[in-house]
Amino acid sequence: MAGRAATIARRTFLVGAGVLGGGLLVGAGVGAALVKRRLSTLGEYKLPSSPGEVSFGAWLIIDRDGNVSVAVPHQEMGQGIHSLAVLLAAEGLRLPADRVKAIPAPEAWRFVNPVIMKAQLPLDPHSESQIQAAALWTVDKLFRISGYQATGASTSTRNIAEQIRICAAVTLDMLTRAAASRFDAAPDLLEISNGSIAMSDGRHATYAELAEDASKLSPREVALPPLGTGAYSGKGIARADVPPKTLGLARYGIDAREQGQLFAAIRHSPRLGGKLLRAKLPEGQPGIRGIVEGEDYFAVVAENFSTAVAALDKADVQWRQDVGLSISTSDVFKSYRAALNADVKFPSRWIVDSKGTTTRPSDSIELANGSSKRKVVSATYEAPYLAHTTMEPMNATALVTDTSCKVWAGHQSPTVAKLLAARAAGLKFGAVELVTPYLGGGFGRRFDLDYVAKAVEIAKHFKNTPVQTIWTREEDIRNDFYRPAAMADLHGELDEAGSLVSLVYKIATPSLADQLVKRIFPAARGGLMADKNAADGALFPIYDTPNRSVETFIVDPGVPVGTWRSVGHSLNCFFMESFVDELATAAGIQPLVYRARLLEGKTGNNSRRASTLIERLVKYDAENPPPSASPGVKIGRGFSIAACFNSFVAQAADVEIKANDIRVSKVFVVADCGFAIDPPNVTAQLRSAVNYGLSAALFGRIDLENGRVVQKNFDTYPALTLANAPRITVEIVTSNAELGGVGELGTPGIAPAVANAIFAATGKRLRTLPFDLSMAS
Amino acid sequence: MGTEVALNGHKTVFESPAPTALLWALRDELRLVGTKFGCGAGICGACTVIVDGQQQRSCQTSLGDVEGKSIRTIEGLSSEIGKVVTDAWIKAAVPQCGYCQPGFVMAATSVIEANPTQSVEEVISQLTNICRCGTYDAIREAIADVLATLKKRF
Repeated sequence: MAGRAATIARRTFLVGAGVLGGGLLVGAGVGAALVKRRLSTLGEYKLPSSPGEVSFGAWLIIDRDGNVSVAVPHQEMGQGIHSLAVLLAAEGLRLPADRVKAIPAPEAWRFVNPVIMKAQLPLDPHSESQIQAAALWTVDKLFRISGYQATGASTSTRNIAEQIRICAAVTLDMLTRAAASRFDAAPDLLEISNGSIAMSDGRHATYAELAEDASKLSPREVALPPLGTGAYSGKGIARADVPPKTLGLARYGIDAREQGQLFAAIRHSPRLGGKLLRAKLPEGQPGIRGIVEGEDYFAVVAENFSTAVAALDKADVQWRQDVGLSISTSDVFKSYRAALNADVKFPSRWIVDSKGTTTRPSDSIELANGSSKRKVVSATYEAPYLAHTTMEPMNATALVTDTSCKVWAGHQSPTVAKLLAARAAGLKFGAVELVTPYLGGGFGRRFDLDYVAKAVEIAKHFKNTPVQTIWTREEDIRNDFYRPAAMADLHGELDEAGSLVSLVYKIATPSLADQLVKRIFPAARGGLMADKNAADGALFPIYDTPNRSVETFIVDPGVPVGTWRSVGHSLNCFFMESFVDELATAAGIQPLVYRARLLEGKTGNNSRRASTLIERLVKYDAENPPPSASPGVKIGRGFSIAACFNSFVAQAADVEIKANDIRVSKVFVVADCGFAIDPPNVTAQLRSAVNYGLSAALFGRIDLENGRVVQKNFDTYPALTLANAPRITVEIVTSNAELGGVGELGTPGIAPAVANAIFAATGKRLRTLPFDLSMAS
Repeated sequence: MGTEVALNGHKTVFESPAPTALLWALRDELRLVGTKFGCGAGICGACTVIVDGQQQRSCQTSLGDVEGKSIRTIEGLSSEIGKVVTDAWIKAAVPQCGYCQPGFVMAATSVIEANPTQSVEEVISQLTNICRCGTYDAIREAIADVLATLKKRF
C-alpha cells in the first residue's frame, strides 16, 4: 500500500495541477484512495447552467428540483456511454439513477479526449517505464490544447469515469458541509438519502435547497469510494435510452425534420477517387428544386427524398475519365505480395517491435533444411477490405446562411464535424452550430465527416433552407472508408520442445493514420512515423518470444481506408491467434496448453491477467464439452486470446460444419477490463462486438473491379441475422487493474477462434477471410 | 384523390403519388420518423410496419399497394401483445444504437399476434431483420419472456 500511495503522490506531482483524467490513478478495490482534489481544475471551468440551476465543476448541474445533469463529451452510438456517466454521477451523489440525466458537454477544451490520442502512440500500455509516462504526459498536455473531442477507440469510459467520480464526490462533500453549516452540526451527524441531507431531529434540506450555498464553498480533498462499494458500480443501471429506442421515439440524424426542409439524394463517382465533370437535370421536373455538382459527386435536391432519389438516374452525368482508381482486388494483393517479397529492401518498411536476433525467413528456411533441429512454421494470411454498414446510412442536415451554419448529424467528433462544416460553408469554426442526436451506429465510420462536409456544400446552394442529404445503402457501401485489406507473412521457429524461439511477423497494409490526417489537413505529410494501427494486435503481444521482429510494409493502393471496429486488431489478432494454433499443431501440443506455455516465464501483472483468462477457458472447455459430431455434421471448438484497448479478452467458439456450410453455434467470452462498472452493459457490448466481427468473418468482403466497388447492399454484403447468430455467454473477470476499454473488445478474437474451430472440425486451415471452405484444399 | 388507409386506427389520406414507397410517405409526408430507412431493398427490415396483420417492409410497399388497408406503425403500437413485446424489450434492455429496433418490434409483434402459442424458435425463424449492433441474444431473451407472459395469460 505504501508503495502504491507513493506512486500516486509522485504521479500527481509529475502531472501537476490542471490535469484530469487519463486513468492515472488506481481504478478500484484498493480501499478508499485519497484523491488529491484538483483545486484549480474544479475552479478552472464551470459548466454553463441556466437560472435556478447550480453547476459544480465541469461535470454536474443541480436543478431546482434537486435533479442532476451530468455533462458527457461523447456521442451515444449504442455503447452506453451516456448511461455510464449517469451511473457514476448518481452513485457519487448517492441519488437514485433516475434522478440523473446525461446532457451533451459543451464543446470546450475542457472536454478533450487525450486517451484516444495516447492510444495512437506506439507505446506499450502496460509498461511501467517512467520515460514512457513522461511521453504520455506530454501528449496529454498537447492534446488538451488542441480541443480535440472524439468518441471511439473504446476510450470514452477511461476518459470520463474518474473525472465524474471525483466531481461527484467533491460536490457531495460541498453539499454536506453546506448542510452542516445550515444546521450548525458536525457533518458526521448528517444522514444523506435520496437527494436530501438530514439531522436526526428531523431537520433536513434537499440538494436543491443546499446547492447555492454549497457552490460558494471551496472544494476540498475527499476520499473517493472505490468502484464496487456504491449503489451502482459493479451492478449496473437501466439505460435511459432503452425505452425511447424501443418505442420509436429516439431521434437520429436522419430524423431531423426542420421547417421548410428539403431533401437531397447524393451519388458519388462510380470509380473510387473519381471526379465529376458535369451533371444536369432537365428543367421543370415536379418536386425537384435543383441539382448540385460537387467535386466527386452530384446531388439532386427535392421536396422529399423519394423524388430526389428517383431523379438520380434521370440525370445526365459525366465523370472525368482521367481521374480515379482502375485497380481490382487482385492488384491490391499483388502489390502486397511484392512488398513482402522485397523484404528489407522495401522503402516503407517499419520495424515496430524488435527483440533478440531473428533471421530473415528466406535464410532460416535454408537453416532448417540443414542441421538445425528447429522446426519452421511459415504461413501467409490475408484479409479483405470491409465496409461498416451502420444501420443508419450516412446523412446530415445543414442550414447555411451568409453568416452561420447549423448541422444536425451523428458523428464521432464534434471538433472535426465543425471544422469540415466550417470549411465547406466558407465560414469560421465558431459560426457552426452542431446538433448531435443518437447515432444509428458508429463503428468508426462516423469519425470521417465527409458526409457532413458534402451536406453543407449542398445546403450552401439553398441558403436559409435546411437540406437533408441522405446516402442510399448503395452509396454508403460504395463510398466507405474501409477497414484496410492486408497480407501478412508469419514465420515462426520452434525448438525441439516446441517453444516459439523466433517470430518474424510482416504485414503489408496501408497507413490509415496517414489517410485520416490528410482528410482533415490536406497539406499534412504522411509517412513520418510508424502507423501503430497497422501493427496493433501483433505489437506488444501477450506472448514474449525471445527473438522477434514485427514489421509493417506500408502499401497504399489508393483505396480510402478508415477506422473499423477494433481497427488493426481486426487484422492482426486473426493472423496471430490463428498462427499460434498452427504452431501448437506443429509442436503437437493442445492449443490452450500451448498458449499457457507461451505465457510461462513471463512475470508481471499482464501475463497473470492473460493466464487467468486461459485458465477460465480451460475450465469452460472441461465443464462444457462441445457436442459430439453427428452424420454429416462436423463439430469443432477453437480458442483465442487478445490484449487490446487496455483490456484482456479470451474466447471459445463452437462450429457445426455441414459440407461447406459453417455455423457458429456458441461463443464463450471471458473478459477483464479492470473493473466492469456496468456489467450488463459490458456483456451487451461484448456480444455486440463478437457478432460484428463474426458477421465480417463469415460474409464480409469488399472487392474492387477496375476501381469500382463490387458489393452494393445487404444482398451482396450480407450481415449476420438471428438465423446464424450464435448464443454468446459472457464471463467478466475483475482484476481491479486500471480501467480498460470495452466497446471493441469482443471483435478481434472471434475470427481466429472460429478459424481454429474450423481446423479442429475439418483439419482445414483457412488463412483468408471471409471463411470459405470451398476454397480450402 | 390520394390514398386512403386506416393508419394506427385513424382514417388517413396520403397526398403523395400512388407509386411513392410507404416508408417515405410516412417519414416525409406525415413526418412519422419512427419507421426507419436502412437499405431500400427490402432486406434489412428497419422499415417494417404491419399491414392487415402482416409484417411488411414499407420500402418495398407503394401507397397504391395499401389503398384501403390497415397500417400500424411503431408510433401507434398499442395492442395488448404490442405492449407485452415492448415491455419485454425494455426489460431485456435490447436496444444499443436502437436504429433497427422499431422494425424488429413491429415484426415480432405481428408474428406473435398471428399465433401467440408459437415457440421461440418458430417466432425467430420469421424474423429476418438485421441488427448491426448484434443484439440477438437479448432479442431471444425478450421473445422468450413475451411468450412466457402470454402463456400465463391465455
